[in-house]
Amino acid sequence: MEVSKYVGKSTVRIDGKVKISGAAKFVDDLDFGADLLFAAVVESKYAHAIINSIDTSEAEKFPGVVKVVTGKEFPFRFGLYMHDRYIFAQDRVRFVGEQIAAVIARTPDAAKKAAQLVNVSYTELPNVLNVQDALKNDTFLIHPELGNYQHVPWFFPKPETNISHLRKVRKGDTNKAFKEADFVFEDTYTVPRYAHCAIEVHGTIGLFDNSERLTVWTASQSPYTQRHLFAEALAPLGLTHKDVRVITPFVGGGFGGKAGVSMEIIGAALATTVKGRPVKVLWTRAQEFYNTYQRQGLTCRIKVGVNKDGGIIAMDNTLYWDAGAYVEYGANVVNAAGLSASGPYNIPNVKIDSYCVYTNLPPGGPYRGFGYSEFLFGLESHMNEIAKNLNIDPVEFRRKNAIREGDILNYGGKMNPNGLIEAIDKVAEAIEWGKKEYSDDPNKAIGKGIALFWKAPAMPPNASSSAFLKFNEDASLNIMISGMEIGQGLLTVMAQIAADVLSVSPDKIRVETPDTDRNPYEWQTVASHVTWSCGRAVERAAIDAREQIFDLIERALDKDRTSLYLENECVKSRKEPGFSLPLRDFIINGIMKEDGTFRGGPVIGRGMFMPEFSSALSDPETSQGGKPNVHYTVGASAVKIEVDRQTGKMRIPKAVLAIDVGRALNPNLIKGQITGGLLQGIATVLYEDMRFDEKGKLLNASFSDYKIPTALDIPDEIISIIIETPQPDGPSGARGMGEHTMIPAAPMIANAVEDALGIRIKSMPITAEKIALTMVKEKKIDLINI
Amino acid sequence: MSEIQLDYAKPKLLNEALDIISKSINPYILAGGTDLIDMIKEGLVQPDMIIDLKGIEQFHQLSFKNDALFIGAGVTFSELIESKIIKEHFPVISELSRTVASLGIRNRATLVGNICSAVPCMDSGPLLVAYDALIMTVGPKGERSVPAEKWFIGSRKTAIEKGEIVIGISISSPGKHGSCFVKLGRYEGEDLAQVNLIILALKNYIFKVSFGSVAPVPVRAKKIEQLINGKVITTSLIEEACKLIEKEISPITDIRATKEYRMHMAKIMFERGLNAAVSRLNGSGPEYGKNLL
Amino acid sequence: MMYKEINFILNGENVNLQVSPDEILLEVLREKLGVKSPKCGCNKGDCGTCTVILNGKTVRSCLVLAIEVDNQEIVTLEGLMGNGLTPLQESFLKNNSFQCGFCAPGIILSATELLGRNSKPEKKEIQEAIAGNLCRCSGYSPIIDAIIDLTN
Repeated sequence: MEVSKYVGKSTVRIDGKVKISGAAKFVDDLDFGADLLFAAVVESKYAHAIINSIDTSEAEKFPGVVKVVTGKEFPFRFGLYMHDRYIFAQDRVRFVGEQIAAVIARTPDAAKKAAQLVNVSYTELPNVLNVQDALKNDTFLIHPELGNYQHVPWFFPKPETNISHLRKVRKGDTNKAFKEADFVFEDTYTVPRYAHCAIEVHGTIGLFDNSERLTVWTASQSPYTQRHLFAEALAPLGLTHKDVRVITPFVGGGFGGKAGVSMEIIGAALATTVKGRPVKVLWTRAQEFYNTYQRQGLTCRIKVGVNKDGGIIAMDNTLYWDAGAYVEYGANVVNAAGLSASGPYNIPNVKIDSYCVYTNLPPGGPYRGFGYSEFLFGLESHMNEIAKNLNIDPVEFRRKNAIREGDILNYGGKMNPNGLIEAIDKVAEAIEWGKKEYSDDPNKAIGKGIALFWKAPAMPPNASSSAFLKFNEDASLNIMISGMEIGQGLLTVMAQIAADVLSVSPDKIRVETPDTDRNPYEWQTVASHVTWSCGRAVERAAIDAREQIFDLIERALDKDRTSLYLENECVKSRKEPGFSLPLRDFIINGIMKEDGTFRGGPVIGRGMFMPEFSSALSDPETSQGGKPNVHYTVGASAVKIEVDRQTGKMRIPKAVLAIDVGRALNPNLIKGQITGGLLQGIATVLYEDMRFDEKGKLLNASFSDYKIPTALDIPDEIISIIIETPQPDGPSGARGMGEHTMIPAAPMIANAVEDALGIRIKSMPITAEKIALTMVKEKKIDLINI
Repeated sequence: MSEIQLDYAKPKLLNEALDIISKSINPYILAGGTDLIDMIKEGLVQPDMIIDLKGIEQFHQLSFKNDALFIGAGVTFSELIESKIIKEHFPVISELSRTVASLGIRNRATLVGNICSAVPCMDSGPLLVAYDALIMTVGPKGERSVPAEKWFIGSRKTAIEKGEIVIGISISSPGKHGSCFVKLGRYEGEDLAQVNLIILALKNYIFKVSFGSVAPVPVRAKKIEQLINGKVITTSLIEEACKLIEKEISPITDIRATKEYRMHMAKIMFERGLNAAVSRLNGSGPEYGKNLL
Repeated sequence: MMYKEINFILNGENVNLQVSPDEILLEVLREKLGVKSPKCGCNKGDCGTCTVILNGKTVRSCLVLAIEVDNQEIVTLEGLMGNGLTPLQESFLKNNSFQCGFCAPGIILSATELLGRNSKPEKKEIQEAIAGNLCRCSGYSPIIDAIIDLTN
């Protein structure tokens, strides 16, 4: 009888009105009164240098300055997966823009001006700005102390090198398989760094009050991780977890950039130096580019062995990640990508080496797709090249090799149920695969490209979620979680899940953003895992509340518990069709017995979820054993482009993306992820990228020169295809899908360019300029070709 | 710590404005402010006085009299786009204006401000140069009309003299003509030009060609004009003209584009722009506003 | 610092306050007047989150001096909702147009200006009107669709 009434429907967002009306408060919108202080940081001018001395005397004299703080006051190392960074640089700086000190003042302007008066004396060290240099034998070590750094057990740093982690995968016997293969194809593909470009910058306000409790308001995807890292990093000051409170109002876009802890630690630490007064740190757009996590650059050398019939028998994929100055979070991107860099294919013999390499560029870190966008560019470009060389249709080639349920994964586990074949077939049909099209404009060519994708949440095996749920007098509900609404619609979907269990409409359910004092634990809102994980916690909290209701009805009214059910906010009984008791009649104040006494009381549900089947323990030489990935979400995407042979400029008449979400809890919100994610992915291939000069300084730290798409830069048509092969452990069978929508974009466009123009571009981005100059270089066009 | 005290005035009369300028140490003229205010915030300029021109009525004048167009210093790009005069007599100004930044900027930014800031990638510079426009100024020494080609001296440098204000731009109509503005950006959204180009096709196949963003100042491509003037446009003529482009412009490599791509695109833009301008002269061709790239 | 008195109409109310000539309209609205719907996303006029309507036209309030609006009229998102949500806002709500919502105030104002000019805009005109408002979440089509939906 449990038919979903709310789950599966395109419910209007429960946070729609607060956002549409301007009532939504973001961290910079909060008011802190007249004693609010402002901090500005002093930043490294150099990519790599020893700090000889810091003279703060002039800054301290500047009118309005309250305090100048340097790294001396916080000599503590911290980090999420590896403790390799400091709150402020200690004896050396490792990237241009790294924070060295901070000035706290009464106005933002005074802080900014005084920060310019702090005099730092440096001795420059050799810069290591790319992976090739960082891996040379005689390279300069960026972290000579690497061997002493604390880290999670699934990282394998190589002390006395710049390799902070190496993930090795060995499955089958690749040496033998390559010898036996009919053909071997090898190539190298490169991907630059990228910026998240959430429209809201990072900001944080810290208050260490006179009772010595630390409250930090942040724009964050990870309130609990932040609390934990603040408490850990500041433990030497006597702080414990209960003394630290993190409050996260609405977040103006995350995309991974607001996961973990980046600049927020500065606000938390500075607050402890000005007891009793709130202090605010707000990044400028430029700082947002150069001193938050960046998406890491990748050089990928891929070798694939195939048989004449098109069957892939071996893959050797070596990934070199430009991970930047600190890898406390970024190394896990390297790890996750390493485990999955074979892509969604069933390949019996696999060798993967994924190197996390320190460089003197800003810290790399999580970015929507968590490494998968990067390796898929090379992998899925390469698959097309192989198919072309074998004279097999690229769709057929993928279909033949696509991974299926039960196939053995790189680390030995079995592939979960999935609709990859269905996805391939549906996108091929929607894009009219095989139908060659011609432009009306003789300068232009039309091409089609396809790419498959897969991605698993990258998370510790014990990453967990929890939820509280409390009823109000009128049977409306408040749900408290610490999963973060970053635009994806989490609050709405959580309401839908609880609504179905409790028969209360989602518009009577309020789910608010987290406060670690009030809302229960959530690991982080990353990895496309909260719908799945937090969703299970909410579902369990709702079931817990429902069971309490049934207990009460049985106890107070002597009803047969097994026949009770909830419908339209009433308790009903299958045995007694006439029985219908509205929740509002008892949900807070209980049920009165004949003697005037009451039974019951406020109904409060609790639920939690931890994937108890997951394990990160495995053989470091092969990655065999354990179950690091809870499930893979798969899909396929295809595009039709119209590209100008002369100018390289491109229009996208149609893009299609099919994804197996397990169960679509809210189809409209899924469509929103597809339209948004695809465009974000398309931008990374067409025009975005970060450029650094030979001194390691970022050259395009603004929207004037780091172009993100506008409303004029969208595909003419996007077709969203939802496939539902239930995930056995997901809420109503759902699995995550937020990141996945951007990851196939780059290779599918590269493949479409190849189809249209016959040129294979192996480095991102594939700008109009790159296309046009390649056309000239390969003599596909004359300079003027009329 | 010598903080400069900033003052602000919004005079109603031109003379009043000139008087304030003469009494200030480092006065800056404010029209749309979309460039100036950013520069002040970045600390790139430190004015002691800002003179807001928006209170002076004549600066909002946009008129077409005796075959001459006058664009007052306070006329915004949005006003140019919406103007019936512009649509009828100078549709290329509308075509160009639509490519400037985004609506919220165009509602504020002025064409005169654009040519006073005079950054090499400005869109309005080549326009004025191609039309042989006059920049009308007034200052302590009286009024001047500076030909557009002499106005631009270098990157962010113009022929404006101390104490002067630009009143507006005067453009004489070359009679019935076809025209085309082509701009290279990295995508469809707002961008600073990597190359821009304006071509005017006048009667008897007389052409005016000006490139922007390929040198510190707008380039009037006179060698090309000489080559093609009076001739029927053919493939081989365009090829010949394209060879001259390499002599006319000197693009550089920067974050937005390489010099190779700029050169490559300048030729393609010339070819497409020329064909569009000629067909527009003949009453056909792509409608104004269509992106040819 | 020298202060000057300015008077202007903000969302239908007369406002009178002292500002120094270098104060930026966006900061005055947010910090002195508590009007928080205009946001600061880039502080350079690139992102459009600070959009307000000045005398009927959208402008970047991060590139306007507060002193410039003396005797002028400003409308922010707060001022559109005299009678609850506007039909445009209702359409955005129905279409789940926005995700994180940070760009919403600016886009709603840009779209409002457009619809004031043209009650039945073509798709391309809608795209041009909101092209200066960056949104990183939605891919824009749910926003454009909601505007088309409303005008049909």
